[in-house]
Amino acid sequence: MTALDEKRDAPLARPAPHKMSWAWLGVMPFFLFAFLFLIYPSSTIVVRSFQDSVTHGFTLKNILALFDNHYILGAYWISIEISLLTSVGGGIFGFLLAYAAIRGGLPSFMRSSLMTFCGVASNFAGVPLAFAFIALLSPTGLLISWLRALGYNPYFHGFTLYTFWGLSIVYMYFQFPLMVLIIAPAIDGLRREWLEASENLGASSFQYWRYVALPILLPSIMGTMILLFGNSFGAFATAQALTGGQINLVTIVIGSQLRGDALGDPGLGYAMALGMVVVMALAITGYTVLQRRTERWLR
Amino acid sequence: MRRGNRIWSWIVMIIGILYFFLPLLATFIFSLKAKLGVLSFQAYANVFHDPAFVYNFSYSVLWAISTIVVGILLFVPTAYLIRLRVPKLRSAVEFITLLPFVIPAIVFVFGLVRTFSHPPLLIVNSPALLIAGYTVLSMPYMYRSIDTGLRSIDVRTLTEAAQSLGAGWGSILFDIILPNIRVAILSGAFLSFAIVIGEYILAQYLAKPAFAPYMAYQIQQKAYEPAAMAIISFALTWAAMGIIALVGRGNGQAQVGGGH
Amino acid sequence: MTHLTLSNICKQFAGTTAVEDFNLEVEKGEFVSFLGPSGCGKTTTLRMIAGFEVPTTGKVTIDDTDITYQAPNQRNVGMVFQAYALFPNMTVAQNIGYGLRIRKESKTAIKERVTEMLALIHLEKKGNSYPHQLSGGQQQRVALARALAIRPQVLLLDEPLSALDAKIRVSLRAEIRAIQKKLGITAIYVTHDQEEALSISDRIVVMYEGRIEQVGTPFEIYNFPQTAFVASFVGTLNTAPAEVVDPAKHLLKIDGVQLESAEMLEDKHAGDKVTIAIRPERFNFIAQERKANILDCQIENITFLGSVVRIQLLIGSNRFYMDTFNNPFLELPKIGDKAQITCSREAVLVLKA
Repeated sequence: MTALDEKRDAPLARPAPHKMSWAWLGVMPFFLFAFLFLIYPSSTIVVRSFQDSVTHGFTLKNILALFDNHYILGAYWISIEISLLTSVGGGIFGFLLAYAAIRGGLPSFMRSSLMTFCGVASNFAGVPLAFAFIALLSPTGLLISWLRALGYNPYFHGFTLYTFWGLSIVYMYFQFPLMVLIIAPAIDGLRREWLEASENLGASSFQYWRYVALPILLPSIMGTMILLFGNSFGAFATAQALTGGQINLVTIVIGSQLRGDALGDPGLGYAMALGMVVVMALAITGYTVLQRRTERWLR
Repeated sequence: MRRGNRIWSWIVMIIGILYFFLPLLATFIFSLKAKLGVLSFQAYANVFHDPAFVYNFSYSVLWAISTIVVGILLFVPTAYLIRLRVPKLRSAVEFITLLPFVIPAIVFVFGLVRTFSHPPLLIVNSPALLIAGYTVLSMPYMYRSIDTGLRSIDVRTLTEAAQSLGAGWGSILFDIILPNIRVAILSGAFLSFAIVIGEYILAQYLAKPAFAPYMAYQIQQKAYEPAAMAIISFALTWAAMGIIALVGRGNGQAQVGGGH
Repeated sequence: MTHLTLSNICKQFAGTTAVEDFNLEVEKGEFVSFLGPSGCGKTTTLRMIAGFEVPTTGKVTIDDTDITYQAPNQRNVGMVFQAYALFPNMTVAQNIGYGLRIRKESKTAIKERVTEMLALIHLEKKGNSYPHQLSGGQQQRVALARALAIRPQVLLLDEPLSALDAKIRVSLRAEIRAIQKKLGITAIYVTHDQEEALSISDRIVVMYEGRIEQVGTPFEIYNFPQTAFVASFVGTLNTAPAEVVDPAKHLLKIDGVQLESAEMLEDKHAGDKVTIAIRPERFNFIAQERKANILDCQIENITFLGSVVRIQLLIGSNRFYMDTFNNPFLELPKIGDKAQITCSREAVLVLKA
């Protein structure tokens, strides 16, 4: 600070300058850490996506190659499909579940137990989750053997645990609990007086949902579904453990690229990773925008 | 509520409960079948007597504890100073703590491995890199938990009150701030614990001993022991969440985790 | 003509009685307040008129039609909620028009009615605003307009002003009363604020622990409280235990000091214990010679309350308050002084047990 600045400031109106620099020093370790282990490695991906792997000059070759490679496009497509399916499906089911527990007239302990279950289930993922569903839905799994005993074997009707539909069912296990956890405050924010005011003005409960409750909840529901989309889009360990890397998801492809240049082109690997970050960033932005909108309403 | 609604609520709830418990039930039953013809805890005994399990699991616990310690040392002072002294850096910090949400774990590890496997930054084999990675992955939960804790106690007023009573910085931090955000730190710590124990990608690609990669490997080798490990892993997650719910009772905030 | 009738209403929640034997007839165009502390059953009674609660026993009728068991959305009763309850996703105009939209009225009819309502609440320019852009007072006016837009038979107001600032409360209650008079609509107003009830109502129903304590005009409620509860809840009141000296001559005694009342004491006998009540503003310092109700007292404290000066004094062992209007030339005794005060016979109320 210059002497001129000091004159302008009223004495003691704000912390003395040397205290300010102490505070700056105090937050430095965090920023140093974040730069070294988060921002620098991440920016490496961005930089190398636009870098020729031989000459190190600037190029759009890697990005363009993404759109030419049917294998990679296919991986993106399957990842997007599975994320759409499980975010919408998990979102709808999670919403119904949260609504049933909070406003469905169930005993109140149901709500707190559901919240604890969902806290566990949304964190119970990866390898053990994959195994739990192998125990349930593999050809020798518990549910399949029950169904076989009833004379119906889903494996004779095109079902397998290790491909698209099977993986979707497994993903739902952490998708709908996440929906419950995030949407619950929004449902709590739905004030009872709105229902009463609506009834008082002559509306049926369908009309209440059509004109009041759904419009109020829709941004939260959509926003949370977007978050679920990202949650599933970035998932790796569950799919890897379940299918042993046999399903062609973006994360799996990046995993095998990391193990040993499986795409045969390092630049392409970076571009693929960058593509994931872009999709995730879009998702988080969408979520934030929608979340802001509801916060205004549900204060 | 009307009667019809309640029936629907029960139906939805029962489907949810089945979805939640059936895979666990299947795993549990399967884990008891290690001895032919009888139900036994043989698989669990095998797991606990397997030196490889003990070795990998102990390392996971070590990683988890290190991550929690690093996280607390790094995030508590930062969150406190950001709230109190340098609020202009607030949005920068929020952006950074959200980044691990935006960057999928596999992409993050990809970047980490590629960055630190060339000189002069050849530390890909150091456990420090693994712990740093875990700290990043648990950052959204740990930092946010601490920040929420600080927000709920109104640090500014507390700090000013303590200062007006003559307290120095050390006393403010250790007598006033830390005891009041103990619950928030604990929930962040247990959530981090659950995340690190279940985390597969980092240890796998940095080739370090850990529970999840070991279990993934066992799935291909054995049948009943992985089932037992899945149940153990589930019980640990449950315990961590249960402790969070227990210590956090009253401020009733559900934690949302990750690591899929 | 009786418009709204509540007869023998009882309401029980899981074993506890919220409202007990409630009877009331309300005239068309009348403004009736339910006044009482929280938990006295006033809101429950209001919600039974709206249909959100069903009475355990008893009957609610409007214009001789029994609506006791009618669903809330089948009644034509407008309600204004304590916390506004405006729909946050709709503009002011959409909020006001909501009931008409539900009734499938034409777009032009809705628009006309909304414009009319906006003019009524003086928010002509806010039709396209969202509730969160309005102040609390404005939001509550919109809620009022929304309830009135459907041309309800009865308007119900559930503590509509309790979330607002003191100043806005006073101006808005005058506005509510003016609008109610202009439209000639029957209104039921729930409040725990006695000043609000006194200032706004044609009649007040004072409730306590689920029962009606007294029904009357604000004048009757204030000046002739019939029970100890009404006396203590409405306004400030000095109460003291007294003993009947001579029923025929209306003579009483408090702590040795003789008092004369205007109340009938035929059913009392000499020596009976009663409670008497005197409003603080009914006391005066003695200016001229009087025969009855001369009370010796000692000044304990003097407090300025703005337009009124409140004097705390001791009569015998009983502590009383006396209010006198403030003016710059007021000559007040000093704390610790002895003084003599008086009150008229009519000021000495004898409360029911």
